[in-house]
Amino acid sequence: MDLSFSEQDEAYRQKLRDWIAGNKDLATRTMKGIDDKGDRNPIQAMRDWQRHLYEAGYVGMSWPKAYGGYECSLTEQVIVNEELARAHLPPTINTIGLTIVAPTLIQHGNEDQKKEHLKRILRGDDIWCQGFSEPGAGSDLASLRTAAVVEDDQFVVTGQKVWTSVGPIADRCVLLVRTDKDAPKREGITYLLVDMKSEGITVQPLRNAGGGSHFSEVFFDEVKVPRGNMVGELHGGWAIARSTLDNERSGLSGVVALENNFKKLLELVEAGTRSGKPALEDPQTLNQIAQYWIEIEGLRYLGYRTLSEQLKGQKPGPQASVGKLFSSKLRQAMAKSALEIAGPYAALTKKSPHVLNRGRWVAGFFDSLGYSIGGGTSEIMHNVIAERVLELPRSVED
Amino acid sequence: MEFQFSSDQLAIRDAVAKFLSEEWDLSERRRALDDGPVKVSDALWQQVVDMGWIGIAVSEDKGGSGLELLTSAMLVEEAAQVLFPSRLCSALASAYALDQCGGDSMPKLLGSHMTGQHFVSLAMDEANGDYGPENNSTRATMSGDEGVISGQKILVPDADVADHFLVASRLGDKGVLIKVAADAPGLTITPMERIDAQCVSELELKDVAFSTEDILGDADEAEAVLQRTYEFWTTLISADLLGVTTTALQMTNAYAKERHQFNRPIGSFQAVSHRLADVKMDEEVGRSLLYGACLALQERPDESSPQVSAAKAWLSDAATRATEAALQLHGGIGYTWELDVHLLLRQARSNAVYLGDADYHRKRIGAYLAEQLKSSAAGVSN
Ligand SMILES: Cc1cc2nc3c(=O)[nH]c(=O)nc-3n(C[C@H](O)[C@H](O)[C@H](O)COP(=O)(O)OP(=O)(O)OC[C@H]3O[C@@H](n4cnc5c(N)ncnc54)[C@H](O)[C@@H]3O)c2cc1C
Repeated sequence: MDLSFSEQDEAYRQKLRDWIAGNKDLATRTMKGIDDKGDRNPIQAMRDWQRHLYEAGYVGMSWPKAYGGYECSLTEQVIVNEELARAHLPPTINTIGLTIVAPTLIQHGNEDQKKEHLKRILRGDDIWCQGFSEPGAGSDLASLRTAAVVEDDQFVVTGQKVWTSVGPIADRCVLLVRTDKDAPKREGITYLLVDMKSEGITVQPLRNAGGGSHFSEVFFDEVKVPRGNMVGELHGGWAIARSTLDNERSGLSGVVALENNFKKLLELVEAGTRSGKPALEDPQTLNQIAQYWIEIEGLRYLGYRTLSEQLKGQKPGPQASVGKLFSSKLRQAMAKSALEIAGPYAALTKKSPHVLNRGRWVAGFFDSLGYSIGGGTSEIMHNVIAERVLELPRSVED
Repeated sequence: MEFQFSSDQLAIRDAVAKFLSEEWDLSERRRALDDGPVKVSDALWQQVVDMGWIGIAVSEDKGGSGLELLTSAMLVEEAAQVLFPSRLCSALASAYALDQCGGDSMPKLLGSHMTGQHFVSLAMDEANGDYGPENNSTRATMSGDEGVISGQKILVPDADVADHFLVASRLGDKGVLIKVAADAPGLTITPMERIDAQCVSELELKDVAFSTEDILGDADEAEAVLQRTYEFWTTLISADLLGVTTTALQMTNAYAKERHQFNRPIGSFQAVSHRLADVKMDEEVGRSLLYGACLALQERPDESSPQVSAAKAWLSDAATRATEAALQLHGGIGYTWELDVHLLLRQARSNAVYLGDADYHRKRIGAYLAEQLKSSAAGVSN
C-alpha cells in the first residue's frame, strides 16, 4: 500500500501551482463576474475561466486525446482536483457536462456524438443540464412520462422535467424520454441529447429553499430532436441512465470541498465562544470537531480505495452510493454545528447588521440540505446499498 | 499510488482465512464464558508460530518477514472474524515493540517469542480513570543502572502463557516500556474476567526490580518506542473491531435474506435493510480509516496518532452499532445464548473501551487540531 506520488507527479503538481500563482488576477476577476472582454457577465466569465483552465491542460486530463482530452493519469487528475479546490479557485461551470454527460458519452456515445460534444464540454462552450426528474417521477425515475414519438428521422418530444439544475443557463440537455408506453417501464426509455434552444422548450426558473434559483422546470412542446442525437439503442436508455447515475454519485462526495468547509468551521470555532468561554476550550465542541475530522479522513481514504480500483480499470459501481450517503450526512452535520457555534447570529440574513461572514453559514446550511435529495435521496442511497451492494431482496415490487 | 491489498497480501489473507476456518470455531467462545478464559491449545499455537505469523512484520535482519504493518492488521482482522483469542494480537504487538530495539537481549527475546519458546505480553491500561501512556501512574525510579517499578495494570492480556511483560511506566518525565519477568519478586498477577471471556489479568507491581537493559530502546528512543507500540497495538485492536463488524454484518445479512415474516424476507423491509446499509457504510468507512492508520504508522510512526485515533474512535463506535444491530435484527433468537451474536457484541464492547475509548481518541484529535490552529496562528504572526 502506497499513497505517495511519484517524482513525475510532484513535478506536475509544481507546474500546476505555478500556473495557479500566475493566474490569481484572472481568478479574482472571474469571481467578480468580469469576463475576458472586461464586461460584467458572470456566466460568460465562468465560461472564459473554464476555457483558460482547459487550455492550460487542467480540464479533462484523463479523457482520450481524440476528443480533446489529455490522456493523463488518474493520479494527475486527483492532483488537479486537490490543488484547484485548495487554492479556492472558481469552480468549473460545466459540472454536469464534465462529470455526468461526458463519461456517459465516452462509454455509450457514437463517434459523431463524441466528436461533436466532448471538446465543447471541456472548453465550457456548452453548459449541460440533466433532464431526468419529472413531477411524477423522482425516486421512481423509471416511471417517467415525457414522451417521444419517432417521426421519420427525428423524435418529437412532449412533456415536462423538473428540478433541472442550471436549466436557465444550459445550452444542452441529456434527456430521458418514454418511447414505448406499452413495454415494461424500464424497457421503453430512450436517452437523447437535446439542444436547449430548440423550438418548443420553455425553461421556468424555480427558487430553492435557500432563496437561490439554480434549478428549474423545463417544458417540452413538440420539440424536434434529430435521430442522430439518440445515445445507444431505441428503448435502451435505462441502462445508460443507470451508469450516468453511478458516475454522478461517485463524483458527489467532494472531499476537498468538505476539507475547505472544515477549515472554515475551525476558524469559526477559534473565534467563537460557548457558554461564555472560547469554543476551543469547550470539550464538547472539540469532541464534535474531532468527529468531523475523522469522518473527512474516512471519506478521503474511501476515495483512495475507489481510485485504486479505477486505476485497475473498474468502473464506479453502486459502492459510490456509500460515499454519497456518508458525505451528505457529514455536510449537513457540519453546517448545523456551524450554526450552533454562530449562536444568535445564525438567525440573521446576509443583509442584517451583526451577520457573521456575510451569511455564508446560513447559506451553507441551506445548501447542505439539497445534498441528501439531489442525485438520488439518502433513502434511495440506502436502498441501493441494501439491494445492489448487500444484495438484499428489493423493498418495492415494480 | 496503490490503496488496496497487493495480490501477495490477498494470497496471505486467503490462506489465513482458510486455516482459521478449519482450525477455529467462533462458538468456542460460548464454552469459555462458562469454563474460564478462552485459550489456544499449545498444538494450535505451535502451528500459528510455524506459519511465521508472529514475525510477519518483524524486520528481516531480526528473523521476521518484514512485510508492511498492514499485513499484521489484516491477520488480526481475519482472526477477529472467527473470534480467535487475543493471543495473536498481543503477540504481534509485543513483537513490534521488541523489533524497535537494538542491542543483544531484546532481539534474542524477540527471536524466542517468534519461535514460541517464550511469550511476551504487554501491560498498558490502568485503573486510574484515564487512557493513554501519557496518563499512566505506574512509576519507575532508578539509581545508577538499577531501578524499581511500582503500580497497577489492568486488562493485561494472556498472562496465563506470558513469561515476560512489557510494562508502560513513567520514568522521570518520560514514558517507557520496561521488560518484567512474570515470576519477578514483587509482581502479583490476579486473573480478571472480561465479558468476552478473553484471558486478562491485573498486574500489581511493588518495587519490582529492573535494570537499564530492561528498558526498551536507547535513552533517546525509549519514549518513542512506547508511543509507537501503543499506536500499533491500538491499530491492531481497531482491526479486531473491524473483523467483528464484518462478521456481524455477514451473519445478519444472511439472516435477513432467509428469515420470512408477512410472507416476505425481512430484508425487504426498509427498517431492516436501511439499518444494514448503515452498518455497511460504517464498515467501509472503518476499513478505509484502518488502512489510513496502517499507512501512517508505516510511513511516519511518530506522527501517526491522529490517524490511529481516527480509526480507533470510529471503529469503537461502529463495531458497537454493528453488533447491536445484529442482535436487534435477529429478533428473539438474537437474544439467546445459543446464537453467536452476543459473542461478537461482547468482544466489540470490550475492545471499544480497550486502549482508549472513542472519546479519548477524539480528545487526542481535538488536541492535535487545537495545536495546528495555534501553530498556524504563530506562523502568521511571525
Ligand atoms: C438541489 C437539487 C438539484 C437537483 N438537480 C436535478 C437535475 O439537475 N436533474 C434532475 O433530473 N433532477 C434533479 N434533482 C431532482 C432529484 O433527483 C429528485 O428530487 C430526487 O430524485 C427525489 O425525487 P422527488 O423529488 O420526486 O421525491 P420523491 O421521489 O417523491 O420522494 C419523496 C420522499 O419519499 C422518499 N422515497 C421515495 N421512494 C422511496 C423508496 N422506494 N424508499 C424509501 N423512501 C422513498 C424519498 O427519499 C423522499 O424522502 C435535483 C434535486 C435537488 C434537491
